[in-house]
Amino acid sequence: MNQDINVKKLRTNCFRQSKVPGEFMLQLRVPGNLIDAKYLTVIQHIAQTWGNGTFHMGTRQTLNAPGIKYENIPAVNEYIESYIREVEVEQCDVDMEVNNAGYPTIGARNIMACIGNIHCIKANINTQKLARKIERLIFPSHYHIKVAVAGCPNDCTKANFNDFGIMGVNKIDYHPERCIGCGGCVKACEHHSTRVLSLNAQGKIDKDTCCCVGCGECVLVCPTSAWTRSQKQFYRVTLAGRTGKKDPRAGKLFLNWITEEPLLQMFANWQKFSAWVMDNKPEYIHGGHLIDRAGYHKFKEMILDGVELNPECLVADNIYWTESEQRSNMHLIPLTKHEPAGPQSK
Amino acid sequence: MGYKVNFAKVNEIFDALSKEYDIYAPKLFPNEGRYSETDIVRYDRVTKVEDIVFDKKSDYPAKEVLSPITETIFYFTEDEWRESKATSKKIMIFMRPCDVNAMEHQNKIYLQNGFEDFFYKRMYEKVKVVLMECKEGWDTCFCVSMNSNKTDNYSLAVRKEDNDLLVEVKDDAFKPYFEGVEANDFTPEFIEKNEVELEVPEIKNKTILNKLKQHPMWQEYNSRCISCGACTIACSTCTCFTTTDITYNENANVGERRRTSASCQVEGFSLMAGGHEFRTTTADRMRYKVLHKFHDYKVRFKDSHMCVGCGRCTSRCPEFISITATVKKMAKAIEEIENEVNANE
Repeated sequence: MNQDINVKKLRTNCFRQSKVPGEFMLQLRVPGNLIDAKYLTVIQHIAQTWGNGTFHMGTRQTLNAPGIKYENIPAVNEYIESYIREVEVEQCDVDMEVNNAGYPTIGARNIMACIGNIHCIKANINTQKLARKIERLIFPSHYHIKVAVAGCPNDCTKANFNDFGIMGVNKIDYHPERCIGCGGCVKACEHHSTRVLSLNAQGKIDKDTCCCVGCGECVLVCPTSAWTRSQKQFYRVTLAGRTGKKDPRAGKLFLNWITEEPLLQMFANWQKFSAWVMDNKPEYIHGGHLIDRAGYHKFKEMILDGVELNPECLVADNIYWTESEQRSNMHLIPLTKHEPAGPQSK
Repeated sequence: MGYKVNFAKVNEIFDALSKEYDIYAPKLFPNEGRYSETDIVRYDRVTKVEDIVFDKKSDYPAKEVLSPITETIFYFTEDEWRESKATSKKIMIFMRPCDVNAMEHQNKIYLQNGFEDFFYKRMYEKVKVVLMECKEGWDTCFCVSMNSNKTDNYSLAVRKEDNDLLVEVKDDAFKPYFEGVEANDFTPEFIEKNEVELEVPEIKNKTILNKLKQHPMWQEYNSRCISCGACTIACSTCTCFTTTDITYNENANVGERRRTSASCQVEGFSLMAGGHEFRTTTADRMRYKVLHKFHDYKVRFKDSHMCVGCGRCTSRCPEFISITATVKKMAKAIEEIENEVNANE
């Protein structure tokens, strides 16, 4: 192999460098993790025509074809033009120009989602619909952000390990006149969730609304429809979770009981916040680290700027990151080496 | 006497009726289903015909109108008490034939079972039935097998045709409401064949009954049934209730007594003072319910089984336990037992 290849440019183009010199792996975005099954033939064709014949299910729910030779990348990019147009522009309404040059950026990563309420009995929301609405706010952008949507706080999507983890929750309505006091919900809540229900002396149910996570287990088990999901749809958002070598951590609760409109307004602020932290120079570093650089309070101020929060929405006053590595002072970057946040003098 | 009434006119008639009647019918409750973004249909007061769901079977039965899930029966202060007030208006209920037949079974339990239930009776006496014609049924229905597909116990019968109701007025008291309305010779038709057919097996004697109770077929439900009770709440004919005294404060001499629907499928239903419980396993409770609906009631009241074949228990079961499949398994078990008994004789 003796080729002059700009691997960083190819990475931005969604082709990942292989350990085999001159080979790359394509990652096709699947925002919300649901597409028409007809697109399976697209990735199959790529893998069999230009790749090494194998297919890899991306860990962020992308469709991956490894073993693509450098010289074939233009042909692949030409071939995926219609996929990008159909999935990004037509399905997600993303404002982007689609041409034969492939993906314009890898910045905002594929938005992951569980199957959600189009299938799952536990889900509270349509995860794909929400993911597609977020896609058009964060893509295409060079600012790296990881977002995942879970249908319920069970979080099969592992939204907790993303910069923004969104979980569908619900303020459950109680209709005491329909309740037979069977205690099914009390048992279900204790077994599956946060143990906030109890049977009172009147044969009805008391709820500790403070600790209710809005999962809907009570609705699932109720024989009489005494518990029903409210008409209003809510989300909980966990912040700055991540995997990684340095300090992997689960996200912390940032917003609870937010409705869709302010949630989307918040995402619309993401690029502005990232640009401010990195002084308008996108780097290969994902969102959680930017929040660390800016500090939670600066982040909160910028990300919620102009956002009209619904009255039910709760915002974390403070977030404390308590990684065990920090306590034991391992794997830490010394303070002197921390990157600064905000505009820098030239 | 029959009429063809457009929806606008139906709503005028509803307005006129509302002076004397509360009208109840199956109504759509969007997003209130068990799963996210699913609906339920249940009985509620309606004020216009557009509120009535004609094209779906209600998830919950019409019995909820006559015997509400929760009902205060009396209030007490020390040794004084008074009954809760009956609804002031009469009640008109839109019901399918299964629900009308179910009401007749409920009458036997509440009114002809050695005593008269005061609270049920005062409701029942106010009821006028509007029969909703039901010619097609749904996949869980087996009313034909249970002889509950037909009824003539109604004051009015209706069929929805686009934006008209065809109405048969059987009770002359309602004729004045239809003055000047286009005549029509409508009379309701009834479903003659369901997708599912069920032959309920006969349990010929006590020996077979006792062996059936011990039969391993019931064990399946220990792992499948979750004892949630959704089947009995959805059942058109279940009547079991429990009572609870609600005291308003630490003074137990002031309060009210409520009755609330109860379910024989829920753990603890048969728990006695002192701690004895008759049916401790899910299988026991399932067996009890099935035999009650397809044996015991008929032994007691003679003419028919309790089940009307509305299939709501199957539709509402979160574990997909089909009542018709269960009875068919029971039929097979009975056949086995009979063969065994005959071989030993």
